[in-house]
Amino acid sequence: MNSFTAKVAKFEIIRQLKKPAFWAATLLLPLLIGGIYFISFISTKDVDTNPTLDENTTVAITDDAGVFGPEAPFVINGDKEYGIEMVKNGEVDLYFYIPKDFVENKKAEFYHISEGLDIFNYDGNILKSLLMQDAATRVDELDILALTGGFEIVDNKITKDGEDSNALGKAIIPFAIGILFFMFIALCGNRFLLTVVEEKENRISEMILTSVSPRHLIVGKIIAMLVLGLIQILALAIPVLILVFLNRDNQLMAPIIAMIEIDPLAITLSVILFVVSSVFYAGTCTFVGSLVSTAKDASSFIGPAIIMMVFPLYFIQMFMMSDPSVVVQIMTYFPFTAPIALMLRSGFGTISTVEYLIGILVVAVSSVVMTRLAVVSFQKNAINFGMALPKWLKKERKKR
Amino acid sequence: MKNIIEVKNFKMAFGDKEVISDLSFEVKQGEIFGLLGANGSGKTTTIRALLGFYKPTGGELLLDGKKYNPEDTQVDIGYLPEERGLYRKESVIDTMVYFGELKGVKEPREWALKYLERVGLLDKANEKVEKLSGGQQQKVQLGLTIMGDPKLLILDEPTKGFDPMNRRLLMEIIEELHAKGTAVIMITHYMDEVEKLCDRALLLKDGVARAYGTIAEIKKEFGGKSLDQIFVEVYGGENE
Repeated sequence: MNSFTAKVAKFEIIRQLKKPAFWAATLLLPLLIGGIYFISFISTKDVDTNPTLDENTTVAITDDAGVFGPEAPFVINGDKEYGIEMVKNGEVDLYFYIPKDFVENKKAEFYHISEGLDIFNYDGNILKSLLMQDAATRVDELDILALTGGFEIVDNKITKDGEDSNALGKAIIPFAIGILFFMFIALCGNRFLLTVVEEKENRISEMILTSVSPRHLIVGKIIAMLVLGLIQILALAIPVLILVFLNRDNQLMAPIIAMIEIDPLAITLSVILFVVSSVFYAGTCTFVGSLVSTAKDASSFIGPAIIMMVFPLYFIQMFMMSDPSVVVQIMTYFPFTAPIALMLRSGFGTISTVEYLIGILVVAVSSVVMTRLAVVSFQKNAINFGMALPKWLKKERKKR
Repeated sequence: MKNIIEVKNFKMAFGDKEVISDLSFEVKQGEIFGLLGANGSGKTTTIRALLGFYKPTGGELLLDGKKYNPEDTQVDIGYLPEERGLYRKESVIDTMVYFGELKGVKEPREWALKYLERVGLLDKANEKVEKLSGGQQQKVQLGLTIMGDPKLLILDEPTKGFDPMNRRLLMEIIEELHAKGTAVIMITHYMDEVEKLCDRALLLKDGVARAYGTIAEIKKEFGGKSLDQIFVEVYGGENE
């Protein structure tokens, strides 16, 4: 890296890192994720949704449907009113009434003393465990498995050659990289736009451009913004990875983790695409920023810039088809839509390696062109303290 | 003496309006050169064209024998433009160190602290620029301009907004740099500054040179009048 570029990048990185607003924006989302996880962890830790009967809890059941076997404990001879009276008197803690039409309506009644809302009380589920225990004495293990579905189905997708295809497993990492790029767009766009506006807004562009060339200035700023973007992405990704690790044995998480397949080629291409796409996006935002003169003007461009990049997401279903339509093909090679389009097609496995490489090349060339445009535009508009508009548009504005 | 600036038949137009017509002049290495004229006479436009911010309609503008190339960061220029500004949210010292690093100053922090002490702003070194008064900010801008002892110093109305004390301080700094061999172009409305500091001058009116040469030559050409009187005569008593 040229020393001027490095000096600009260093200055821009340090000054952003010193800003409390940068850290607020960086840490807000991870803190939010952590907070939500913590609350859900605390609430699920304290609330047992499938409690089992302990020694101190007394139970009575009126079984009018006859679902329990003759030896079942807790089943009483008294009717529903008798059972409710037992709860009121404190003779039992929990009382269940199983009506005659239980098999048809699949409803049982649960009575217990309650004060307040008591919305996280799952003691009613004790009846289910008691019924299971009772049924288990009458049927064998195979029947239990068949009836409860308490077994795992190992999904083996194979190719026509009989090899394990595991398309979803291979897509997880490319998709994750795609999500990171989406986050990058959302988090960093505004800063990219503003980074070049600042010199003009503060009327410092003439002084700075006699100290450093526009090429070194713009490239240095883009590098700084990419580094800062990376810090923000890592601040988001690391807590998520930690949560995934902590929950690696979780029923939902474990099969997904087991499915992940490391395909070095796909991952390498995804990372390259992520890098060139980020540079392209940075170059685009910087170019737009070089055309305007105030932060206010710049902010009105961030929306359209993001919409252009995420446009393929509106057609996500079309990207799932193995035979890509003309629209999908256009979006794959049109520089503004190519990053997300390529990530989607790579994730869905609907793109060949050659097509993917061509797409990456298109984005890479476009990012160089866009950065060059940003440099030329910044030099040209450095002392243009209004908005750089075409002549016809300026005339229209004047008329109004 | 070698020419550090050569302007040959320079023409500049914005749309249909020609603002500079066939302007030619030189600035020699080590001299203090006054670029004079009322507002809108073309002084700032000439400097901006010289530094590549404007593309000239015609003619040639050479800096150290070459066309100024903004990509060539080795050109040793200190430019205090008419449009002044700083990174408002940055501290004074960080801003100065940044510019010092860009200008290749060996120990930018030490240089900056020494300069701030000289101009009475040492206690403001860690303040954010936006907390400084206009005059204080101007001193910081001047510091950024003269960092690294540039070969050419271009000062567009450097004393604008300065009190007499600070004007004197600025004059001292310019004279010191001049003594080290720096060429200085001063764009100013204060004729006393020109008479006191400048070796030669160019008086512009509507983009045309009306007087050019040493101060003595210009005075002689106008019958021994003072620069103030010459200014008024050229502009025919127009208000600026």
